[in-house]
Amino acid sequence: MRSWGRTAPARAPSQRFLLAIHTTRSLAGLFMSFQAPIEIPGVSNYDFLLMAINARREKDGLPALGPLEFYSVVSQKVEALKMEPKILDRNVNEGFSGGERKRNEILQLSVLGADLALLDEIDSGLDVDALEDVAHAVNGLLTPQNSVLMITHYQRLLDLIKPSYVHIMESGKIVKTGDSSLASHINEGGYKSIASFV
Amino acid sequence: NCAPIPSPLPPDERHGEASPAAMSPPSLCAAPPRAGPPPPPLLRLRRRAASSVAASRAAAPSVSDDLVLRIAEQLEDAAPSSPLLDPLRSASALSLLTTPWPTRRSNEAFRFTDISYLRSLPISTPTRTPGLAPPPPPSDLESHVLFSDGRLVAASGAHVSALADMPPGHARDRAAAAVAASARFSHRDIFYDFNAVGASDVAVVYVPEWAKMADDPVHIMFAYSGSDGASLMMSNPRVLVIAEKGAEVAIVEEHFGVGEEDGGCYWANPVVDIIVEEGARVVHSYVQRQSPAAAHTKWTTVQQNTSSKYEFVEVSTGARLNRHNLHIQQLGPETETELSTFHLTSQNKQIHDLHSRLILDHPRGFSRQLHKLIACGTGNGIFDGNIQVNRYAQQTDAGQQTKCLLLSPKAVVNVKPNLQIIADDVKCTHGAAISGDLDPNELFYFQARGVDAKTATDALLFSFGAQVINRIPFKAIEKKALAQLKELLAVSRQNN
Repeated sequence: MRSWGRTAPARAPSQRFLLAIHTTRSLAGLFMSFQAPIEIPGVSNYDFLLMAINARREKDGLPALGPLEFYSVVSQKVEALKMEPKILDRNVNEGFSGGERKRNEILQLSVLGADLALLDEIDSGLDVDALEDVAHAVNGLLTPQNSVLMITHYQRLLDLIKPSYVHIMESGKIVKTGDSSLASHINEGGYKSIASFV
Repeated sequence: NCAPIPSPLPPDERHGEASPAAMSPPSLCAAPPRAGPPPPPLLRLRRRAASSVAASRAAAPSVSDDLVLRIAEQLEDAAPSSPLLDPLRSASALSLLTTPWPTRRSNEAFRFTDISYLRSLPISTPTRTPGLAPPPPPSDLESHVLFSDGRLVAASGAHVSALADMPPGHARDRAAAAVAASARFSHRDIFYDFNAVGASDVAVVYVPEWAKMADDPVHIMFAYSGSDGASLMMSNPRVLVIAEKGAEVAIVEEHFGVGEEDGGCYWANPVVDIIVEEGARVVHSYVQRQSPAAAHTKWTTVQQNTSSKYEFVEVSTGARLNRHNLHIQQLGPETETELSTFHLTSQNKQIHDLHSRLILDHPRGFSRQLHKLIACGTGNGIFDGNIQVNRYAQQTDAGQQTKCLLLSPKAVVNVKPNLQIIADDVKCTHGAAISGDLDPNELFYFQARGVDAKTATDALLFSFGAQVINRIPFKAIEKKALAQLKELLAVSRQNN
C-alpha cells in the first residue's frame, strides 16, 4: 500500500494496516463502528474509553482526565443507553453478545463524539427495545455540525433515525440518491423497482 | 572446576555450642567423634558417606562430581548443627555423592536451561551476623517470617515458628516427621539437596485443624544482600507449611535484594514444602524480584490430600537466572489445584524457567494451570509443564495453557507442555501459544478510537501480565506487583 508520496516500510502482512493514519483519522473526528467488534481481553471497557478520551484531550491541549473524574461522565452515558454500569469493569466486549457489542460501539460514540460517524449495520443483532435505545442515543448526538452515515439492509432502523439522504450502492458504486422516500419505495418494491428511476 | 575454595571457618567457630562428640545423633551418618585437627574438606563428606554406605550395604559409590562436593562441603561447614534436620541432611549428602552437576546434554530437566552462571564465580556463604537489616514488614500483615541471606531472623505470629524453637508437642512432631519424610523425596535434584545440606533451620507455619486464617496471610520475606560481585553468596532458606485437616491459610512469599541500587550478587536456593491435609486450603502468592545479578533456584513441593485446595500465583521478574521447580503430588481424590504464573525477562540474557509437575493418582481431581511469559531483549524463557494422570486418576479434569510473547527477534522461548495420561476416563486440555506480536486486530481497534500504537501496545502488554497478577488475593501485594510490571515494561521499551 503506497501512501502520500512516500513508500511505506516493509512490514509483515498483518502489520500492514497499523498505520498512524488510523489514529489521526479518529482524532480528526471520524468514528467508525465495526460490523463485528472484537474482544480485548485484559483491558476493561472503562480503561479503553479513558485512554481514548485522553487521546482526544491531549490533541486538543486539555489535561488528561483521571479515572475518578471520568466516572461521572461515562456513567451518565451508560445509563442513557440502558446498559448495566457493571459492564465498565468487564473487559472490552468480553462475553458480550453481538447486539451488546453494537451497543458498546454506540456507547463509545456517545462518550467520544464525532464529526462523522460511520455506523456499519448497527441494527444487526439488536432486538426491538435495544434498537430503540441505540436509535435514541444516535438521534441525541446529531447536531447541525455533525453527520452520521448508516449502512443497513433494513427499513426499521430508518424509521427510528430519519435519514436526510439515502444512497443506494451496487457493485461499489452509488447508483441512486434520494431522500427517505427512496428507502420506503425499495422496502415495498425491492431493488428492482428502482431500475425505472435510473 | 577452577574456582578456588575459600578457607573454611576456624574449627572452634564451626559447630557452635554443641560439643563435637555429642554432635551427630545415631543415624545413617554416624561420624566418629572429632579428635585433633579437622580433616581436609574434600574428605569429610566422603568419609561420612562411606560409613553410611557400608552400613546400608549399598554398592560402592560411583564417580562423584568435584564441583558438587565442594559446594556441599562448603555448605556443611557453614550450617550449624540441628538434630531435627539430620535425617534430611544425611539423605541429601548421600545423594550429592553420586549426582553430577547437570548439563544440558546429560540431564533432560536442564536441556533448555543454561545454568553456567552458577559456576561463573566462586561460592561464598553468609557470615554469622546477617547483612543489612531487611525492611520492616508491612504492618497490616500480622504473622510474618523474615529470612536474611537465608538465615531465619524472625518468625512471629500465632502459627509461625522456627523448627528449633517449637515447644515439644503434636505440632513439633508433625513438623519433624515432615522434614524427615522429605528425605525420601524421589524427584530431588542437586538444588534440593544443596538446600537440605545447607539450611540452618526451617521456618514452620503450622495451622491446626479447622483453623481458618486465609484472610490474614502469613508474610514470608526473604531479603538478600549478597556480595559485591567477587563471589556468589549462596543461601538456603527453608520453609515448611502444614495445613491440618479443614484448615485454611494464606502465604505471601517475597524474595528480593536489599542494599545498593542494583542489588547484590548471590545465589538464592530456597525450598518451600507445603502439606495440605484433607479438606484444607492453602492460598499461596509468590513474588520474586531478585537483584539482576542474582541466581534463584527454587523448589516448591506440595502434597495435597483428599478434597484439599491449593491456589498458587507466581510473579517472577528478577534474577539473572531463575529456575522454579513446582512439584505437586496428589494424595487423595477430589483435589483442586489452580496454578497461575507470570514470568518477565526484561534484562538482557535473563533466564526464566518454570518446570512444573502435577502428579495425579486419585480420581476426580480438578486442576487448571495458566503460564504466561513475556521475553524482551535477549531474554530466554523456558516452560516445562508436566501433568501425569495415572491409572487411578479417573474423571480427572485437568487444563493447562501457556502463552508466550516474544518482543524482540533475539528473545528465545522453549515451551514443552507434556501431559502423560494413563487413565481412560478423563478430561484433559492443553494449549500453547507463542507469538511475536500483539494481536494486530486489538491494536487496530485502539487506533480506530484515537489511541496511538505506543499507548495501545503498553496497555496490551500490561494487561497480558496483569491477567495473572490480578489473581493475587491481597491488594497491597497485587498493586506493588502491577506497579513493578509497569516500570519494567517502560524500562524495557526504552532499552529496545
